[in-house]
Amino acid sequence: MRASTLLSESLAVLGKELTAELRSRVALNAVGLFGLTTLIAVAYQIGPYRIQEQDRPHLLAALLWVILFFAATSGLSRVFVKEEDAHTAKTLRLAARPLAVFAGKFLFNLILLAALYAFIVPLYCALMGYAVQGVASLALLLACGAVALSATSTMVAAIISRASGSTTLFAILSVPLVLPLLVMLIQGTRAAAGSTTIAAVLPALQGVVSLGGATLVISVYLFPVVWHD
Amino acid sequence: MSAVSVEFKGVSKRFGNRSVLAAVSGTLQRGRVLVVAGPNGAGKSTLLNILAGLLRPSRGEVVYRDGDAPLARTHWFEHLGMAAPDMAVYEELSALENLRFFARLRGLHLEDPTLQELLDGLGLPPREHTRTVGTYSSGMRQRVKLAQAILHEPPVLLLDEPSSNLDEAGHGVVADLVARFRELAAVAVATNDPREMTWADARIDLAL
Repeated sequence: MRASTLLSESLAVLGKELTAELRSRVALNAVGLFGLTTLIAVAYQIGPYRIQEQDRPHLLAALLWVILFFAATSGLSRVFVKEEDAHTAKTLRLAARPLAVFAGKFLFNLILLAALYAFIVPLYCALMGYAVQGVASLALLLACGAVALSATSTMVAAIISRASGSTTLFAILSVPLVLPLLVMLIQGTRAAAGSTTIAAVLPALQGVVSLGGATLVISVYLFPVVWHD
Repeated sequence: MSAVSVEFKGVSKRFGNRSVLAAVSGTLQRGRVLVVAGPNGAGKSTLLNILAGLLRPSRGEVVYRDGDAPLARTHWFEHLGMAAPDMAVYEELSALENLRFFARLRGLHLEDPTLQELLDGLGLPPREHTRTVGTYSSGMRQRVKLAQAILHEPPVLLLDEPSSNLDEAGHGVVADLVARFRELAAVAVATNDPREMTWADARIDLAL
């Protein structure tokens, strides 16, 4: 029987992902460059002054999440596709428990998203003149959004990893799953920008936490089937 | 190392309309090497994948037993080691890092000297242990794959074309490995190499 715990196996998978990514930088470059390019294009074409005052709360919140979501999409799908492409998936299947694989990959995607948010959000606020009143509320919303987005992306990435044209399939499958989440995140961001109180973002936060939690629970049950069959 | 045996009865596999295996039966047990022979496309790798639990048979069954007690499919992986041409180790990691990773996944607390000794034994020179696998030749990669398969001294060892990409010395290393594991584990070797067929205590010949 195994002497290792699920936690130590998950951390081993996470450690392997981080080491491999720091050496190849494929996902980091894809996510970072896509995010930066989109941000610069938006900032150059729209900037802080080309949106009318009454439209600013809606548009700036929506634009922020469009940039974050599509930048994330370019990198998050790789966690399982690269295992299949490199023929390491079978080796991993025989060595690790499915839940440890899911947890390790989920945590890796979470770290990738956190890095993306830390890089893009302050830059976006500076370039677009986006003054956020409730910084703590926005940080909380970003954290919960990252967990929900990472859970969804990791699960979808596992489902599509053995299909051909998997990157396209990832986008097609992700969008309907992520759309309600994005709507709530945009609403929450708009509320955080206009108010310093957590109460303002609470309805959106509850929705994001519920969706993220549901996705995580479903993934825990579904992933072993997807991974082995 | 526990005595795990594997019994398979009437195993068939179809991919769509194409039948790859038809009612294949046999047993893997400690002290015996089962050689699965046959031309390319005869289903050797498919059979080994089914025995490893990586594929489900269309018909028939595979049963793992630890002594007399049957093992649930979810526990098969803990008892087996496998190396195959379509399995790889991580190119971004060194041989030593790969083995550390797989040891940790399997709950083994192995120190670097033990892992280095394993790699040395498979003919990977010490100077190569810390280079990333992406810079290796195909023969060196094969040695790391074999090390990954036997790292936990599994009671069931499945080897699919174990000498592929290896030179004459490498073939000798694999022959020694099979000889050592014959006493410790239930071993299956899928091959069409006449030299590897001589390892057989039992043999299944698959035809196209």
